[in-house]
Amino acid sequence: MAAAIETKKLTKSYKSRTAGKINVVEALDLHVEEGEIFGFLGPNGAGKTTTIKMLLGIIYPTSGEGYVLGKEIGDMAVHRLISYLPERPYYYEHMTGPEILKFYGSLFGINDPARFQSLLERVNLHRDTTKTISQYSKGMQQRIGLAQSLINDPKLLFLDEPTGGLDPIAHREIRDLILSFRDEGRTVFISSHELSEVELICDRVAIINKGVIEAQGKLTELLKGGRIEITVDSVPESLLSDLRIHDANVRNLPNGILLDVPEEADPNSVIDAVRNAKGNVISVVPRRKRLEDLFVETIKPRSSGMMEGGTVQEKTQ
Amino acid sequence: MRPILAIAGTTVGEAIRRKVLLIILLIGLVFMFVAPGLGVLSTRSETTVLKSVMLGIIQLTAAVIAIVLTVYMIPNEVERRTIYTILSKPVQRWQFLVGKYLGAVAALGLMMGLMSIVLVGVFLVQQEQNRNVTAVTELLKGPIMYFVQMSLLAALAIFFSTFVSPLVNFFLSGGIYLLGTVFNPFFTTMQENPNTPWIANKFATLVNIILPNFASYNIQNTLINSGPAIQNESLYYIQTIGYGVAYIIGLLIAGIVVFDRKEV
Repeated sequence: MAAAIETKKLTKSYKSRTAGKINVVEALDLHVEEGEIFGFLGPNGAGKTTTIKMLLGIIYPTSGEGYVLGKEIGDMAVHRLISYLPERPYYYEHMTGPEILKFYGSLFGINDPARFQSLLERVNLHRDTTKTISQYSKGMQQRIGLAQSLINDPKLLFLDEPTGGLDPIAHREIRDLILSFRDEGRTVFISSHELSEVELICDRVAIINKGVIEAQGKLTELLKGGRIEITVDSVPESLLSDLRIHDANVRNLPNGILLDVPEEADPNSVIDAVRNAKGNVISVVPRRKRLEDLFVETIKPRSSGMMEGGTVQEKTQ
Repeated sequence: MRPILAIAGTTVGEAIRRKVLLIILLIGLVFMFVAPGLGVLSTRSETTVLKSVMLGIIQLTAAVIAIVLTVYMIPNEVERRTIYTILSKPVQRWQFLVGKYLGAVAALGLMMGLMSIVLVGVFLVQQEQNRNVTAVTELLKGPIMYFVQMSLLAALAIFFSTFVSPLVNFFLSGGIYLLGTVFNPFFTTMQENPNTPWIANKFATLVNIILPNFASYNIQNTLINSGPAIQNESLYYIQTIGYGVAYIIGLLIAGIVVFDRKEV
């Protein structure tokens, strides 16, 4: 599949009077395929927005290469095919929804009232055409933002925290809209903190921390490695020691002993071993690895300065 | 051209709704209505006082509006992230800057137009016995020249807004406006006086070249005193307006060069 976004060693540095040269984004190798929803994750200050701004040609990379829809970043021809919804966007407050669309449409030379109307219907704002932006709720502002981002029928959408600060209903509405973009064959690049949201809608993700990509790949591959929690009792200590050697975490509980076993370690053999040792199996609970777990285990070592061993460098294409 | 006009249009819409600008304008208008009453405090004729005070109010009010309107223009767009949604569209940075400038000038034009209407209205009320079209046309030359002056000031503030903070810009633009209005005639005299020492003459010439000559747009003396104070008036207006337009284009080009490489 063709790449919607491709970067090679893309770097952005700033000079600071006190700290010298700071790499906000360092040697970024990013690969986003056409037609997918790509989640770009990272803690605050990780370099997410800087990366998006570089891809949009709003700021200039210090070094490296970047291509959006096959063209070099900054190419004005690409701007006709992409759109951007910034985090907590502001729209001219005196304008109504249709006026906002007319304004953004005019930047493309589009003046098609029927199209504006259909976009307003799509984001469910067609009944609020006389309200000004100052009268819009946060959710409505985000929806008019999505409507303006669709004005040019883009192939690639950059959405920066699209559900940030919204209530659950608005979350759901925005999520459904984003999913519908993929159904239409558009590529969506989402920068977000809402990990549960990203897990629900994204095909692939990249995790960036302190300007460096720590993990990148398909969610299904990155989230491999869940664990099975097996609660047992009346198990001899010799078996517990044996299980510890085989990567199981053993913890005492009030009602027994918890064996926390990696998914790939064949839990059935653990259950068989317990039974053979005349122990009782009380419960077996599979714990799927969540994006939040991956995020924390990826970010934590670098953030706490414990990079030794390189255990978090999990680069999967 | 379409993006420039669209950006200019929204800039006008925003500007005419900014409370701080409307308050400044309102204060100016209130003073203009009060102006006819000041004639009794002066030994000069009432018409002279009226013209002098009202043109002064228009100049001062418009200068404050021009600076307040433009110093926040670009920084506000960055802070509110509107600039990102615009520059991610097929809009070049120069189009954005020129659109913002034209919007600011159009908003200034609207506000100065309103003040000019009040000026003419109050003038006609005062000239109960001696109303004529020629006098009104003559009087309107004042606000028109001020409009060019304010367009130049707005270009200066937009240029500075591409690389300094709004507060610094406020004092910088305001300071240069003051220098160009008050001290420019002084440097011109220094330059033209044959007794000026060579070094002082060169310094005055340099200052006159660099510093925008805001003073030449103040034609109050011509409008107030009877008889022509400017020889070949048409040529003067063409030259002065031409100078302003050239300076504005120069400032906008310089602003575009800075803004084009600016990290927003």
